[in-house]
Amino acid sequence: MNRRVSALGSGLWALAGFRLVALGAALWLGPATAFAQGPASFRERTVPLIASGEWTGARLADGQPDVQGHWSNTIGNHNNFTDPQGGGPDEEQPRARGARADRAPSRVSDPPSGEVPFQPWARAKAAEFAAHLSNPTRPEFVEPLARCAPAGPTKSFMWHGYEIRQYPGYVLFLFDSGTRIVRLDDSPHLAASIKLWNGDSRGYWEGNTLVVEVANNNSKARLARTGEFASEKVQIKERYIFDPKGDRFTYEAVYTDPTVFTRPFTVTIPNKRITLDTPQDGWNNVTFRANRPGTDPIIEAWERVCVENNGPHGDVAAAAP
Amino acid sequence: MTRALVLASAISFAVVLVSPAERLTAQDDRSAIPRTSDGKPDFSGVWQTLGAADYDLEPHGTRKDAPPGLGIVDGGAIPYQPAALVQRHKNFAARATADPRSKCFTLGTPRGIYGGEPLQIFQRPRDLTLVYQFGHPVRTIHTNGTRHPEGTLDFWLGDSRGTWEGDTLMVDVTQFNGETWLDRSGNFHSDALHVVERWSFLDRNTISYAATLEDPKVYTRPWTLRVLLYRHREPGFQLIENYCYTLDYDEFYPVPGGGSHE
Repeated sequence: MNRRVSALGSGLWALAGFRLVALGAALWLGPATAFAQGPASFRERTVPLIASGEWTGARLADGQPDVQGHWSNTIGNHNNFTDPQGGGPDEEQPRARGARADRAPSRVSDPPSGEVPFQPWARAKAAEFAAHLSNPTRPEFVEPLARCAPAGPTKSFMWHGYEIRQYPGYVLFLFDSGTRIVRLDDSPHLAASIKLWNGDSRGYWEGNTLVVEVANNNSKARLARTGEFASEKVQIKERYIFDPKGDRFTYEAVYTDPTVFTRPFTVTIPNKRITLDTPQDGWNNVTFRANRPGTDPIIEAWERVCVENNGPHGDVAAAAP
Repeated sequence: MTRALVLASAISFAVVLVSPAERLTAQDDRSAIPRTSDGKPDFSGVWQTLGAADYDLEPHGTRKDAPPGLGIVDGGAIPYQPAALVQRHKNFAARATADPRSKCFTLGTPRGIYGGEPLQIFQRPRDLTLVYQFGHPVRTIHTNGTRHPEGTLDFWLGDSRGTWEGDTLMVDVTQFNGETWLDRSGNFHSDALHVVERWSFLDRNTISYAATLEDPKVYTRPWTLRVLLYRHREPGFQLIENYCYTLDYDEFYPVPGGGSHE
């Protein structure tokens, strides 16, 4: 595939060492490890508490809280599920990162231990994946997101910045790898025989909280490079709790799957709005200034199409026997 | 003509604001098309074309791998430059494996429109969002007065900027890559492609779509294709995400445990 580096309006990409791969703005940094934690400008170590309650901010014409715009998580990528700033399992020589308390907490907010309540066989499966990430002796050890597969409902919030668009009856999530159309109605989910990378979503608003039930999951996307997973039987209930000021929200997902876990557990991921003033870093902020001379500047996202990945992990895949 | 008839005609004309010829086709009542709060035609919905365009844009008889089709190209044939016509024939011969569609790559513009699977349009005053079921990519048609980005980009679906001319949405699309074909028969373009689309309602459940393609590396002149998009009106109809480019490796990702633990 063509890897021509495009001439972008902003030179920041080149300065930051980013490559814009010709696959329609699929963004990759070489080497991959430099990408691992996300840029410092957006990175935080704490998870702000946003309470469920009334929505006092702006509303759209159909009554939905207006949460449209560009967003990104604030604690890092999917290198490590329970120690988001602790480095991934593919680091040959792990960097010193100080005490655990100095890094962002586990994405598992319940149980309080921060551990995924795996059944023993499942914990061993996750560990096996992590151990083979940098040496994928079998195809299943190549992380599917590295092959452009959608990240799945939760890991999508552990990847590049993304956009929310709203319409009467719908909330759209446009991720770097994959798209979710959340229907705001009580129509039934798709037939259970249909399994999807990003599942089938039905949602409703409860004050400042968008509640979404995700069914029909194919569960092929691991939750992180550390190998965590659920099964096709998983039920995922998401709560997107928006701060009425409009600058932050908390993503919470309760995973229930008695075939893999000993009890339900909750994933918590903090998110912050990307604005015109957010530094363009190519990871959290993947927006561009729109070309609109003579008027107030605005940001927009460009096409993000990933169909034949040739990034670092994909190269590993290509080289694997 | 009596004075009464003249008066009646004048009133009718003033109220309906359409030409007499258009008034003759009552089923094409343009005052009944859906509109957004700002008065623009509202293309929101799930749409799909019928016909054999994706098999071959040009008129063609039946083939083992294609149903027959009348063609959707104005004048019938795409005006290829001689060298491009040779390439087109090579593409045709290799179509079973060389069509990017066979790998589920994003179909591009305009092929995504008539590619055979439904697409959903979401509309706001600032933009239209097209989600194609096939491969599930997203295309944004900006209608907020912004221009194409500067520089050279190579998007699968191109960069789309739209303006309203009455009830017609005019979309200028540039910044393409050269990876996509126009159909399964090997009709193609280069990264110099420039597309101008015209979207308008034929009636409230039918969109009339035209695309003029210009490509100085491939064609001798601009040419136009036209299709209709029909609204899906089945109760409960929805897109089903179709990331078919994962099919070649889905088998490598069985759900861990495979049920053997139960």
